Parts: sequence; structure tokens; C-alpha cells
Amino acid sequence: MATASLSAFTRGIGRYALVAALAAVFATFAALAPGFLSGANLVSVLVNNFALLAIVAVAMTFAVSAGGIDLSVGTAIDFASFAFVSLVLAGQPIPLAALGGLAGGALVGLFNAVLIAGIGISPFLATLGTLFVGRSVQQLLTNGGNPVYLPPAGVPEAFRFLGHGSVAGLPVPLLVAALVIAGAWLVLSRTRFGRVVLATGIQASVVRYSGIRLSRVTAATYVLVSAIAAIVGLILTSTVTVYIPSSGNAFLLNAIGATFIGTTFDPHGRPNVPGTVLGVLLLGIVANGLLLSGLNFYWQQVGTGLLIFSVLAIGFANRKAAARA
Amino acid sequence: MVDAVENGGDAILHFDGVVKRFGGAAALSGASLTVRRGTVHGLVGQNGAGKSTLIKLLAGLHRADEGTIEIDGKAYERLTPHLAEALGIHFIHQDRLLVPTFTVGETLFLGREPRIAGTPFLDRAAMRRKAAEMLDRYFGLQLPASALIADLSAAEKQIVQITRALIANPKVLVFDEPTAALVRREADLLFRLIRRLSEEGITILYISHYLGEIVDLCDTVTVLRNGRDVATLPITETSAAKIGALMVNRAIGELYPKPQVTPGETLLQVENLALTDRYDEVSFTLRRGEVLGFTGLVGSGAKEVVRTLFGLDRPTGGTVSVKGEAVFATDPAKATAKRLALVPEDRRRDGVALDLAVTENTTLASLGRFSRGLIDRGAERRQTEDLVKRLQIKTDGIDALVRTLSGGNQQKVAIAKWLSRQSEIYLLDEPTVGVDIAAKVEIYRLIGELAERGAGILVLSSDIEELLGITDRVLVFFRGRVTREFISSETSPDQVLTDVTGAHETLRHAG
Repeated sequence: MATASLSAFTRGIGRYALVAALAAVFATFAALAPGFLSGANLVSVLVNNFALLAIVAVAMTFAVSAGGIDLSVGTAIDFASFAFVSLVLAGQPIPLAALGGLAGGALVGLFNAVLIAGIGISPFLATLGTLFVGRSVQQLLTNGGNPVYLPPAGVPEAFRFLGHGSVAGLPVPLLVAALVIAGAWLVLSRTRFGRVVLATGIQASVVRYSGIRLSRVTAATYVLVSAIAAIVGLILTSTVTVYIPSSGNAFLLNAIGATFIGTTFDPHGRPNVPGTVLGVLLLGIVANGLLLSGLNFYWQQVGTGLLIFSVLAIGFANRKAAARA
Repeated sequence: MVDAVENGGDAILHFDGVVKRFGGAAALSGASLTVRRGTVHGLVGQNGAGKSTLIKLLAGLHRADEGTIEIDGKAYERLTPHLAEALGIHFIHQDRLLVPTFTVGETLFLGREPRIAGTPFLDRAAMRRKAAEMLDRYFGLQLPASALIADLSAAEKQIVQITRALIANPKVLVFDEPTAALVRREADLLFRLIRRLSEEGITILYISHYLGEIVDLCDTVTVLRNGRDVATLPITETSAAKIGALMVNRAIGELYPKPQVTPGETLLQVENLALTDRYDEVSFTLRRGEVLGFTGLVGSGAKEVVRTLFGLDRPTGGTVSVKGEAVFATDPAKATAKRLALVPEDRRRDGVALDLAVTENTTLASLGRFSRGLIDRGAERRQTEDLVKRLQIKTDGIDALVRTLSGGNQQKVAIAKWLSRQSEIYLLDEPTVGVDIAAKVEIYRLIGELAERGAGILVLSSDIEELLGITDRVLVFFRGRVTREFISSETSPDQVLTDVTGAHETLRHAG
């Protein structure tokens, strides 16, 4: 029993490490970065540095939970964006165009599902392939990568709602992110599907031997990942009223980073939605704080990298200690 | 070798009334053991019976609180590892540390490196020559002396350990659970080697969980229980079942608690089932309350039939029906929907998820019962707690990872998963492999209880004694066909063995 309480204690530190890092980073920038604590800046952190990345990272959390990864989340964002803009330009009503955008993104997931669950290619290689194919397809569709603008005069107000609107004083991107986070958290931690995804990531053959159709679970996972990422494509397009080919990949590495930082928040090191959200918050605050500190832009990535190293190192050390206890 | 025992060959090792306490607890409380020169002596006992303490005393790693240890007729009060080796006692232990970055040659001669005469320099050429000679002589193995330990298989590492001991001209070799990490073929090689070493006059002390090995290999066996020797028997006068019964202090009848159940309706009917190149013309029925045994050599088709029933392989012919309804199970999902359950042989890969909690494993196959949109975690925990209690699963709580459980308790979780699913037809593939004897008895009891509750159970096992003890009927598979059916209560293991090995075929052809 003594060992059990000791390991519970060290695990407690493991979870605490991520929150502590967040608090420390926040306090540092509050002290050093001019304007960091201002209301306008904090809202900007949440809208610009948090909301969109949180949605992508939550999507990534599903792939990592299932024991895989999705390198093509950016492709899903782009395809959603392209479909959305094209349908609006073709004169379709905004809600229909938005649905078409989601479908365009989900199509990328379907392609991944066929490669991974159907053919059996490893998620890393399959989605890497999708990333390359997706980039080429976009260049072919846009004459070598030209942005597709919506004519300023012709942009309906409804189109701008996702990116610029607000409900009860809260920016829509933040609200959407909150809904996605809450929904994903429930699905992953409280539903049968989420439990099976988790079990697949931990020991796939047991899932199969338990009478669960592994390929269906895997396929559904990758379609879901792309569909969630597609939401970001819609918001992004609505914000800037332009589709820029292959722009979605900007989220990829941060989403992976946040997901793995988030694993330190779980007693067993499993990917989890709350941890991922804390990871996104950490990355967002660091990016914003470093910018405000006037640090050379090129140093920002060094800061982010160091942060990932340190949080993961602490989490790993704690899990090892817990395993030994 | 048996002669040596009967003629009362002199004792090379003699423990008398040995007591060893750790803190307040006595690991040995008056254990005696006499090993005669030139014999293969088996030492068995449950975990905690005192086997490893006894071995550590002999190795000089611990010192006895009371009692004497005599080696070659001389009592030693202060054995040290160095002295034990000097007296010619060497230990082959599965977990014994070998330095992974050393070469085979360096490992073999560690601590006794040959030197070039008159210089402090290592005679590498002599090391290589001697190593190659030993490895070839005993193992017919061309293992380069320059190979790294890290690159060797578990069996090769063991060979290096044995060779290292042989270089020192040992009198006694102590094997501590040597087959735990070996596959069957490697274990057979090891047994052949041990017999040969015994013929060369080396005394062997052999410790194993696997009673079948003990019976095959040893001349004499000593059973330890609760820190004492409870019996020392010539192997010709005992059997694996008798040894097992002594280990757990139960009568043989209690070892195989088989309730009498009147079979009910037919649950599973298999007719002319065939899978090209695997098995053919397999027909049998399984009724409620029945325990049916399958046995056969590797490749006999028994395991493949079980896989097919669970939808893991597709048959090429024949029919399977469950409760009178034809079933074509193309994947495990369809099989489980028909309330079939499989407890697979490779428990740690296919049976339980080691890094999921006991709860998560228990409900994995039956999540539908606990979820209406969201999982009802209270109901899930109640079900798991019930099953943990009913199956007497020893765990630090239902949130503990299954990795932290012992083999027997992991197996119980693998079974609990299907109890939660309310399965009716249980396919158990080698359910007691790697499980200690006490947990085995609990699993046997559980099988009986399932039968009483109206389930149909199919047990595939290569332990024929076990199979006869817990089943109603046994089907023997040989080269893809059911060659014989036995009524378990009227059959002796030898009769089954004849059919398993195909000896009757040879006879039939000869006759």
C-alpha cells in the first residue's frame, strides 16, 4: 500500500508539472512582456493562438490515441477551405457551402482510412503520402498554387460569421473550439467508441480478439480526425476570405507537440483531451509572450522546442518513477 | 542414473534442517534436501515455497540461520559465491545478468581470462579457440566468439551461460527455471544437453514450474511447501499430478474439481469442417454443461479448428451451427455476437491489454451493455468488482493496470471479459500455460462452475492429464483429423498419448 500511495504521489507531480509549467510561463511573461496581461492581448491569445490550434490538436489526439498519427490534418484543412470557397463562388448558400467544406475535409480522412484500415499501411506513412498527394492536387487545382480570393464586394456577411462573428460577446472561433473540446472530451473518455480507440492504441490485437471490428474503428478514427480538422478550414477561410493552397500544414507540428505534451497530464501517459488543451494553451502563451518580449522571431521556435523537451522529460521521469514504485 | 539413487550413491549436496528468516517471516523453516552424485534432481514448489532461498543459500548469497549445508561430505558455515564456484557448483539462471556489450568470448572467460604465458596480456587466440571448441562440442553451434551478447537469442544466451560453467569443470549444475524464456524446440535441445551432461557425471539440480519437464528429466524430485521439504520421491514412483497435489497440499481429486453436470441442449454443432492443408472432416457437438477437450501436436489441426470457430480463419468446407442456427463467422465480431468466447493462448498479446486497467479489460468485449450514448461508469465498475470477487482476482483494485497482475490473475481477467459479455460457448486455448499450480486449480474450478451454469466449454490443451481431469470427453487430433474420441473418466493419459503421437497409426500400418 505504501508503494501505491508513493506512485500516486509521483503521478500527482507528473500532472502538476504541466499546470506548473503553464503557470510559470504565464507569470514570466506577465512580468517581462509589456502588454501581455492586457485584456485585449489575452483575448487575442485565445482567438489567434489557441482556438484553431486547439481544434486541430484535439483531432490529432484521436489519431494518437488510436496508436497512430495524422500528418495530413493540414490537407483536410485545405480541402475544406477549397471546397468552401469554391461552393460560395459557385453561388451556393453559405450553410450548404460550409457542409460541403466539411465533406471536402472528411474526404481526406476517407482516403487515409482506405490506406490504413483497408490496405494496412502504417498511419505515419499513409498520412505522409496523403500530405504529398494533397499538396500536388491543390497545385493542379489552382494553376500551380495561386490563392483563390472571394471578391471583396461579393462576400456575404454570413460567410464572415465563423471567423469574425461573436455570440453573447464571445468570438465564434473560441466558441466553436470550446464545443469541439467538450465534445471530443466526452467522446474520447466517456463513450464506447472512445474506449475502443484507446484500447486499439494500447493493444490492437486484444481489441480484435474481443470481437470488435478493428478496421472499422480505425477507419472511423481517421475520418473523424479529418472532419474535425475541416472545421478549422472553414473558420480560417471565413477569417481571411481567401483560400491559400497548402496553408493548413502550419498547424501540424504544433498539434503533434501539444498532443504529446498533453500525455504527461494522464496518470498512465495516455493521450487525453484536457492535456492536449493545456498543451495548446502552453504553446499559445509562449508564442504570444515571446512575440511581445520583442525576441527575435527566429528564437521563438527554439523556445517552443525547449518547452516541449522539458515538459516531456518531466513527464517521462515521473512515469518511470511511478513504474519503479 | 536411477541405479545411483537405488544404490544409495553418496550425497554431493546435503541440506539438513535449514532455517532462513527474512525479518519476521521464515522463508525456510527446517528444509532438508539430499542430492546424490550423478543424478538429475528436481526441485519444485509454488512461488514462496522456498526454492529460490534454498538456491541462494547454496550460492552463498544468503547465510542460513539454522541447519547445515554439506558439500561433498564437508559442512560449510560461510559459503560465498566465490567458494561455491571453487567447489564446483555453478548456476544457470534465466535472469542472470550477462553484460550485453561484451562479446561471447569475453563473457565466457570473464574473471578467469587465459594469459599469454609470462605476460599480463590476455591470450585472445586461446580464448577464441577454447570458446569455439566448447560451443561446438556441446551444442554443435558455430557461435563466433566475437558476437555480442546483446545480439543473441534467449536460448543462445543460456548456451553461453552453460558453456561458461562447463569451462570451469563443474561438479554440480543448478538450473533455475531454465525453460521460462525458451520456445519448445529450444527447450528440447536443453533437455538433451542436460541428459548428456548427466551421463558425463555432472550432478544436476533442476528447478522448474513445469511438472511435465520434471517428470521427463529427473531421477528424483523434492517438493517444497511453506519452507519445508514435504516429499522426496524417485520419479518412477510419482506423476506430474501427484507432484502438483503435493505442492498445493490437496488430494489429486481436488486438483481437478470436476462437477457432474447433465448435458443440456446442443450449443455448437460442427459438421465436416475443413480447411485446406490444415484439417478435414472435423465433426463434433458441444452441449450445455459439457466440457469438451481437444488435444494434438502442433500442426494437428486442433488449434486451427478453434481459430476457425472464432472467425479468425475461414473454413473451406463444412458447417458450423450455434443452437441449431447455421453460422458463418468470418470475423471474431460475428462469433462473439453468437456468444462465442475465445481465451487465446498468447494471453499477453491477444487476451488482455497489459496497459489497460482491470475494469477496462473486463468490459472491453461488452461495452454495449454499459453504454447508452455515454458509458455508465458506475455500472461498469460494479460489474468488474463482482467478477473480481467471483473469480478471486488478486489485484490492487479494479483501476490497476493488468500488467501489474500475476499470470494466473491476468488469465482470470481474460476470462472475466467473456463472463461480462455473458458468453455461452467458451473456447479456451491452453488456459493454464504459464500459470502457477494454485491459479490452475482456480481456473479448473471456474471451468466447472461455467459448465454448471449451462455454458459449453471447449478446452484445447497439450497437458493430457489436466485435460482428462477437467473434461467429459476428449477429441484427439492427428494430422488434421479427429482420430479418436475418449470418455475422460474412463481413460488414462497413456492411452491418449498413443493417439496424440500417432503411434496407433504406425501400429495399424505395421499390422
